[in-house]
Amino acid sequence: MATTTLVPARVGYRSSIYEWLTTTDHKKIGALYLTSSLIFFLLGGLQALGIRSQLAFPDQALVDHGTYNEYFTIHGTTMIFLFAMPILSGLANYIVPLQLGAADMAFPRINALGFWLVPMGGLMIYSSYFFGGAAVGWTGYVPLSDGNFGPGTGQGVDLWIVGLIVLGASSILGAVNFLATIFKLRAPGLTMWRLPIFVWTVLVTQTLALFAIPVFTTALALLFIDRNFTHGAFLNPAVGGNAVLWQHMFWFFGHPEVYIMILPAMGVISEVVPVFSRKPLFGYKAFIGATIAIGLLAFGVWAHHMFATGAVYLPFFSLLTGLIGVPTGIKFFNWLATMWRGQLNLATPMLFAIGFLALFLIGGLDGALLAAVPFDYDVTDTYWVVAHLHYVLFGGTAMGVFAGIYYWFPKMSGRLLDERLGRLHWLLLMIGVNLAFFPQHLLGLDGMPRRISTYPASSGWGPLNLASTIGAFTIAAGVAVFFVNILVSLRSGEPAGDDPWDGTTLEWATTSPPPPYNFESVPPVRSERPLFDLKHRPAVAALAPVPAAPADGEAGA
Amino acid sequence: MTAEAGRLEQRPAAEAPNEGHEGSAEIRTGAHPVAGGTDTTILGVLLFIASEAMFFAGLFAAYFTLRTKATTWPPGDIHLDLPLAAALTVVLVSSSFTMEGAVRAIQAGDRRRMVRWLSVTLGLGLLFLAGQLYDYATLDFSFSSGVYGAAFFTMTGFHGAHVAGGVVAMFAMLGRASQGQFTARHHAAVVGVSAYWHFVDLIWVALFSTLYLLR
Amino acid sequence: MGFRWPGRRDRVAAGLPRIDPATLPAAAPAPGGRPSRLVAVVPLAALLLAGCSTMYPASGGTTQGQSVRSLYDIILVPAIVIFVLVEGLLIWNVVRYRGRRDHLPPQTHGNNVLEITWTILPFFITLGVFALSMQTLGKVDAKSANPAVVVDVTGRQWFWDFAYPDLGVKVSGAGAEPKIELPVGQTVRVRLHSDNVIHSFYVPGFLFKRDDIPGLDNQFDLDITTPGTYGGQCAEFCGFGHADMRFTIVAVSQADFQAWIAQQKAAASATPTPGPSLAPNAKTLEVSASTPTSFEQSSLDAPAGQPFAIHFTNKEAGVPHDVAIKDAGGQVIFKSKIVSGPADDTETAPALPAGSYTFFCMVHPNMQGTLTVH
Ligand code: HEA
Ligand code: HEA
Ligand code: CUA
Ligand SMILES: [Cu+2]
Repeated sequence: MATTTLVPARVGYRSSIYEWLTTTDHKKIGALYLTSSLIFFLLGGLQALGIRSQLAFPDQALVDHGTYNEYFTIHGTTMIFLFAMPILSGLANYIVPLQLGAADMAFPRINALGFWLVPMGGLMIYSSYFFGGAAVGWTGYVPLSDGNFGPGTGQGVDLWIVGLIVLGASSILGAVNFLATIFKLRAPGLTMWRLPIFVWTVLVTQTLALFAIPVFTTALALLFIDRNFTHGAFLNPAVGGNAVLWQHMFWFFGHPEVYIMILPAMGVISEVVPVFSRKPLFGYKAFIGATIAIGLLAFGVWAHHMFATGAVYLPFFSLLTGLIGVPTGIKFFNWLATMWRGQLNLATPMLFAIGFLALFLIGGLDGALLAAVPFDYDVTDTYWVVAHLHYVLFGGTAMGVFAGIYYWFPKMSGRLLDERLGRLHWLLLMIGVNLAFFPQHLLGLDGMPRRISTYPASSGWGPLNLASTIGAFTIAAGVAVFFVNILVSLRSGEPAGDDPWDGTTLEWATTSPPPPYNFESVPPVRSERPLFDLKHRPAVAALAPVPAAPADGEAGA
Repeated sequence: MTAEAGRLEQRPAAEAPNEGHEGSAEIRTGAHPVAGGTDTTILGVLLFIASEAMFFAGLFAAYFTLRTKATTWPPGDIHLDLPLAAALTVVLVSSSFTMEGAVRAIQAGDRRRMVRWLSVTLGLGLLFLAGQLYDYATLDFSFSSGVYGAAFFTMTGFHGAHVAGGVVAMFAMLGRASQGQFTARHHAAVVGVSAYWHFVDLIWVALFSTLYLLR
Repeated sequence: MGFRWPGRRDRVAAGLPRIDPATLPAAAPAPGGRPSRLVAVVPLAALLLAGCSTMYPASGGTTQGQSVRSLYDIILVPAIVIFVLVEGLLIWNVVRYRGRRDHLPPQTHGNNVLEITWTILPFFITLGVFALSMQTLGKVDAKSANPAVVVDVTGRQWFWDFAYPDLGVKVSGAGAEPKIELPVGQTVRVRLHSDNVIHSFYVPGFLFKRDDIPGLDNQFDLDITTPGTYGGQCAEFCGFGHADMRFTIVAVSQADFQAWIAQQKAAASATPTPGPSLAPNAKTLEVSASTPTSFEQSSLDAPAGQPFAIHFTNKEAGVPHDVAIKDAGGQVIFKSKIVSGPADDTETAPALPAGSYTFFCMVHPNMQGTLTVH
């Protein structure tokens, strides 16, 4: 049974299917989240391979228009709502209470409910395949999704809508839970300015979720009502509705959504880079400030997805969009300064962190160019955007998630993941991602629109598409290596010990895996690196609270 | 969601920590390592209310977008029952005060008085719902009569569903009170329900102003 | 058929070898080698890719497109500089600081001067890019008070219709991919319209697109400078046939344009001839549909060896259907145009050898019936 793959190897409590179904332990729920997300990652990936196979050569007809359109709709929906969001929730579920020195989440049963809604929503979304399909894009633009406008706009879309509402409910419950946990369950001494960066990014992320997702729920509810009761009154101009309204509501949610998917990954990187450089995070407070700034700006840029509609006030949205590059830059330079003059341990978590930096940068710069409205006029809805979104979502979110899994797997399972397989996994991804997604920039500049199921040979897009397809299969090979690594290491991985990476935050102060309520005793917290103090500065650890400012070492880099 | 606080201690035996981990009782039960501040349950309810507020903000935004685009609003053949709606507004607003009475009562440790106030509030909530259903039955337009009908019924409908949710929560509170729960010190759930009720009330006032007064 | 996508094919040809899959693994050491070198090589490969000269769109066949291109040429520079700087620092860090030593490295917690520097610099770069892009935007979105030619473009599911309201010429994409001509050196006003879903009018050679949203008739101007053939395509996902919504714009001199208009008018006034090979007494098959699940006929008969007519009636409002015929081997032999109901359409099917065939709807492949030819 797949859900048992992450059973901690030497724990004092028995595991049975029933236990897993009824558990309210944040660690088990975290493991459930991770497992289900990885299964959905495979499903979403299989559809991506379908997409790439169909596009490998011009004028192909491996699948017809209708099937292709369902593929990219469900691929996008799966990767965002059933992979990226829940896998980050899974990591956070497992790690945040540990990093806080808490016994569990604030509302354990709501936590369990929140998880079980995910497979439920996923099942609904996937059942659309058997009810005429949902072929409206993950953005579900109206009027296409608002009535019967051809294949893939029938009952399947209703299932897709309800599935998304269910997943939204899950995320809202999760947001309430994480925020209450972070505000109320911190260990003594763990002030806000000593929180691990991962916790800070989860805090900002969940705040975004709390405010953004309900608006998506509203939009979906209106869409559902329109389709079934009011015949387009809200969203179909032919009946008096407003087609741009959906786009505003969708992107008011949709843009914060992309930061919901990247900030926790940045949090993971901010845990890994310092530990594997043997230095504290450079500019801890600047980093938190940048995270908050991104969170605030996230609500003021949604219409950059609507530049070509001719219906939005361009200068405002363009400027704020560009400005998001500033706090993101602060993060980049702080990561680089953290590595500067450090002692880099290039183990797999660090490799994936470096991969994140190398790849996300490309996606971020793509985005910064998209913020220039006239350029967006040219490349919006082309493969340039597909390149951008995969560099940030695969190069960013997925690489961050992999870094987190390699980093925390030993804590979760008591065993290390295999380093050699890990390096192979990393190498295949680095090659595959660049090969799959870099050529898409060029295709976009050449005018290849996204969401087309085929293209004529005369377009000249064949060779770059073939390269992209080869890249996609390279990624798939890498992902296969990753799964082999997980399965092999769960069974026979090297025992990890409690603190295999010389960690600095509280999760490394308990056993691997942690006991049911996490800690026998929580070390004193005097800085944002309590374990570092314990190991390297016993005098500080024993002291009364010290300021978080630098106490030793030189300033500057 | 209101029943979670302090539940860590009440776990089923199967999940209770084994001997070795008893030492950290304070951390294990973990409810309040951070001293002072809002009760965790109440904080949870407030956060949830924030998300609900965004849900309704979305509805209002949609409403005003459609309204600005329309030429006549509401369309000429639409007739609203203003006196009934005004009466329902009075009902719901006064129920906020009776709810406050219930909270004051339990803060003072008087559970019976709390039950009385809560019952009155619940009655007012039911009265509101009945009035709304009556309104629905007698209005001369429906869900599917154009943009206005869609907006009117969707907004009042979602609000009504939230009132119904509040009523259910009050039933639950009455049930727990009848089992002897809630004291002057432990009544976070009641405060949570009251916060939710005030919120639902506030939304109605906004709806009433938007649909009936501003038109 | 091959319209020309200006300035592209050469670049594709030139750019391809650089992302040849063979070069990447070749440059990287075998898996399991020293990770440090792997780390350095991959960003380097990406850097090579980014630096290569294929990173440019078309030069722009309109004044508007040319200003977009100039903007891109400028803002790509800071992007590449930042890219090289950051990837360079990353590689430097990895190469220079890898490995563990006995003592802890200096525990630097931060530096305010640095923080301010790397906040301010990107801030001003962003402002600069913003200012430039707004300046360009003014040119791209400017509208002339009296455009010389007006074109009405209507997005349908799934083809484009074009009309020159002042000149009395219409070109529909219903049957075949539409091809229209536009004059060079005059301002062309394009007025978009849609009655169904959102489309987007996109001409890569003009570096421009604008969404065609029902209820929101967007307009924009094109000042074409370079004669040539420009391919265009719908860029907003609009359902089943989104990939098929292609069109071609031929930019010609004003004289040639007038000639083309005259020729179109002449062609329109001549009575359109039906399918040439249809005999006067040819059979007409009646096919109709009122649901998206099946035709109203489950079987049809046609004579062997002679062309016949198909009169298709789509009774379903707002839903597109068509009639297509495939042989026993699944080969599609005939397809009618897609009609959005309620509407009808008569077309001529080719002569078929006797046998059993399937007629079906391309839009809803589940709608099927048998066609017996004897
Ligand atoms: C993880 C998800 C994620 C992230 C983090 C981002 C980050 C950004 N995105 Fe992206 N975006 C998506 C996911 C994401 N995006 C998706 C999924 C879509 C497509 C949706 C769809 O239509 O299906 C999209 C689409 C999209 C569009 C619309 C394109 C279109 O359809 O026309 C735009 C336009 O402005 C945009 C901009 C940006 C910007 C400016 C950032 C910035 O946050 C990036 C900031 C980072 C950097 C800039 C790099 C680091 C900075 C420095 C080193 C400092 C120096 C830099 C400068 C001075 C510029 N994105
Ligand atoms: C987190 C988000 C995420 C991720 C990870 C991915 C991953 C991938 N995506 Fe996707 N993509 C999106 C989010 C994402 N995508 C979104 C939001 C859209 C827009 C949708 C829309 O337009 O509506 C999109 C659209 C999109 C398109 C554009 C379609 C179109 O516009 O017509 C393409 C085309 O190439 C594509 C390709 C890929 C590929 C090749 C991968 C690869 O990385 C996939 C890797 C492959 C696997 C993971 C396969 C699994 C491995 C195996 C099968 C091996 C077997 C092993 C075992 C069983 C152990 N994606
Ligand atoms: Cu029309 Cu896409
Ligand atoms: Cu965005």
